[in-house]
Amino acid sequence: MRYRSQSVAYWYFAVAMVLFGLQLVFGLLSAAKYLGPDPLLYILPFDVTKVIHTNLLIVWVLTGFMGATYWMVPDESRTELYSVKLAYLQLVLWTLMGVTAVVGYLFRYGTGNKLLEQPLPHKIVIVICMLLFLFNIGMTIWKSKRFTTTEGVLVLGLGLAAVLYLPALLEYENYTVAIFYRWWTIHLWVEGVWEMIQGGFLAYLLIRLSGADREVMEKWLYVIVGLVFIAGILGTAHHYYWVGVPAYWLPIGGIFSALEPVALVGMAIYAYSAMRRSGMSHPNTLALHWTLGSAVFTLFGAGLLGLAHTFPDVNKWTHGTLITAMHGHAAFYGAYAMITLAMISFAMPSMTPGRSEQGSSIGYWSFWLQLGGMFGMTLSFATAGIGQVYLERILGMGYLDAQLKIQVHFVMLVVTGSIFAIGVGLFIYDFFRYAPRFEVDDGQTAGPRPATKPVVTAAHA
Amino acid sequence: MNKRQARLFAIGSTVIATLAFLGLTIDSHRQFPKLTNAQNITPAVTHGKDVWHKYNCINCHTLFGEGAYYAPDLTKIAQHRGAEYLKAYMKDPSKFYDEQRHRRLMPKQDLTDVEIADLVSFLDWVSKVDNQGWPPRPILVTGAGVGPMGVLQAAAGSAPPPGAPPAGADKSPIALGEVVFREAMPACAACHSLLPGAQMAGPSLAGVATRAQETVGSADYTGDAKDAAAYLRESIVQPSAHMITGAMYSASGVSFMPATYGKDLTPDKIDHLVAYLMTFK
Ligand code: HEM
Ligand code: HEM
Ligand SMILES: [Fe+2]
Repeated sequence: MRYRSQSVAYWYFAVAMVLFGLQLVFGLLSAAKYLGPDPLLYILPFDVTKVIHTNLLIVWVLTGFMGATYWMVPDESRTELYSVKLAYLQLVLWTLMGVTAVVGYLFRYGTGNKLLEQPLPHKIVIVICMLLFLFNIGMTIWKSKRFTTTEGVLVLGLGLAAVLYLPALLEYENYTVAIFYRWWTIHLWVEGVWEMIQGGFLAYLLIRLSGADREVMEKWLYVIVGLVFIAGILGTAHHYYWVGVPAYWLPIGGIFSALEPVALVGMAIYAYSAMRRSGMSHPNTLALHWTLGSAVFTLFGAGLLGLAHTFPDVNKWTHGTLITAMHGHAAFYGAYAMITLAMISFAMPSMTPGRSEQGSSIGYWSFWLQLGGMFGMTLSFATAGIGQVYLERILGMGYLDAQLKIQVHFVMLVVTGSIFAIGVGLFIYDFFRYAPRFEVDDGQTAGPRPATKPVVTAAHA
Repeated sequence: MNKRQARLFAIGSTVIATLAFLGLTIDSHRQFPKLTNAQNITPAVTHGKDVWHKYNCINCHTLFGEGAYYAPDLTKIAQHRGAEYLKAYMKDPSKFYDEQRHRRLMPKQDLTDVEIADLVSFLDWVSKVDNQGWPPRPILVTGAGVGPMGVLQAAAGSAPPPGAPPAGADKSPIALGEVVFREAMPACAACHSLLPGAQMAGPSLAGVATRAQETVGSADYTGDAKDAAAYLRESIVQPSAHMITGAMYSASGVSFMPATYGKDLTPDKIDHLVAYLMTFK
């Protein structure tokens, strides 16, 4: 840790860890309900466990993003944060928002609109938190007068994410119009501005972990961002196929969303070749696993499995089946969970002394168990989904009868989900195992390398 | 390419894509009213939409294929089930399905009558939105489908599991009728679809209750029934009493439909079947 105020990141990460653990409890509960019968039918029915599962996901990932940004911006701009107090105030407000939202969902207090279930007061608090956050980050950069492309991409991504949340605050009389704008938030987040955020973290990590040249890395970062938006913006149309909008969205969706994986291939090559060409220049190989893992798993979960059902002629059979859940899990995990875990793994050794720089063996167990578990979950959803599409959509078997025939895949889901959860449990344990101690290190011990000009401090050995 | 050019590429492609997207958005707004029959969004439909949101329906079901995958898609449900069926179902789903058999059951939602009626109006509006003809084949809630899994398998597969409560005692007659429709020998569903215009060996029964009403009242009706329900009963028991013309369905005054239901089905079952068909208004 090179700046004292970076320590706020620890508390954001800690909150993210707890919420991540809770998310899985509700995921496993939901999966168990597929097997049924459900003894909790009138206490905690599926709709409640599922809404909590997905909302905790969004909240913990955003908490992680914010923490990671508070970690990264001082490093990039070489300064203390503008206001530590504001950062804590924001965390408290944000956490209260998250916790009360979850408690509310237990009583079905929510908007009942997929992934945007937050009640209006909560949505307003979310916006306030985002404004506090962006203000704090903006002022930090402004006052430092030092602004790198990497953090620029990150901060612009975060700012646009806040802007794209605004349509979710409105009410729409026409259900089709509501769907139309729901995707401005959801799709343009995960296949647009969040990819900028991921790209920003990825570039930061690669620059710090490898000896890659910043100029080259930032040039390619721009190229990736360009590729994301060429395809991703018009690619929104892959959610407009069967919802009551004009038919021209069909070919547009097919063409542009099929181009989306290009940026993801780019990202994977970017990460791989940075490491290939420049080699490791930092001891934290665990963070490297998470970093490369994120680039590769995104390509698999979002690129390959997204492409698998993105053409209208395929999507008309798979739309609204477990095939979507297959892709949703692998994509979200690879792109946004793994990049957050990468930032956490990178930052932790300098905030919790006693931890090994390379990562502990528990850390590696956690990595491989999560990866294996998530791969297994993806396969379970995929096989269940293929069965569902064939029986229900093609043969015309009734929904309930088709679900009975794919029970075995749900058993598989619970088993692989449990393996995954063990991996996450180990990560959380490893996180809290060492007490935090925030000591500013001036580059004597191993820590993040200074950025381009080795003027400020001497690089570690 | 240098860094400046790369930046230009990023900004330029974003701006172009955004402009194209906004242009198409404006054009879509021009077309929404027609595609979604916006003139039919009555206060009841809007209230029904609010009910849909209030009870978090979307976190089990899908509508237009969006939502959760724990319960069936409801985009076209209002065309598969009559309003009366849906109302009875929403009062108490456990009267229609057996959690022991399907391992899932929709929890009872304690909806008011107004909420239920408006929800049905909303679902009816949804089912009529022009959505590129999706789904390509009807998505059904239950039934064994056609093809290799065959209709006959439906009957075989439907024996209640050991330990299941005796069928029927607490079920609504409409729900029981739906089972008879699928499981009578031979199954009604083998020849009759419930989708408008989908003629199989027998005519589609979509809207059959309304048609029965019209037929009974018409001058050239040849049977003995006095009201729609009696007419449906007659059609089940004595298919040839009055026939809707069409060489596809009858010859020399004798319907192709089996005349065996009168003796094979118990009077109870026939009552249930009539109650079920009467929901297709
Ligand atoms: C990191 C990137 C991505 C994430 C996190 C992600 C996540 C998701 C999620 C959660 C859904 C379900 C949304 C809902 O129904 O509410 C979804 C749907 C979908 N995604 Fe992605 N996705 C990503 C990238 C992609 C890419 C690159 C493609 C195409 C090449 C793609 C194609 C699709 C399609 C076609 C659907 C609609 C499925 C349906 O018919 O219901 N996704 N995605
Ligand atoms: C123990 C591990 C997990 C289990 C057993 C699990 C199970 C489930 C289940 C049963 C659903 C509901 C699907 C439906 O609507 O029918 C779901 C939804 C979802 N989960 Fe998980 N989950 C787990 C972990 C995760 C993780 C780690 C992520 C992301 C990083 C995630 C992201 C999602 C998303 C995005 C959805 C909504 C998908 C859609 O609607 O298409 N889950 N999960
Ligand atoms: Fe998308």
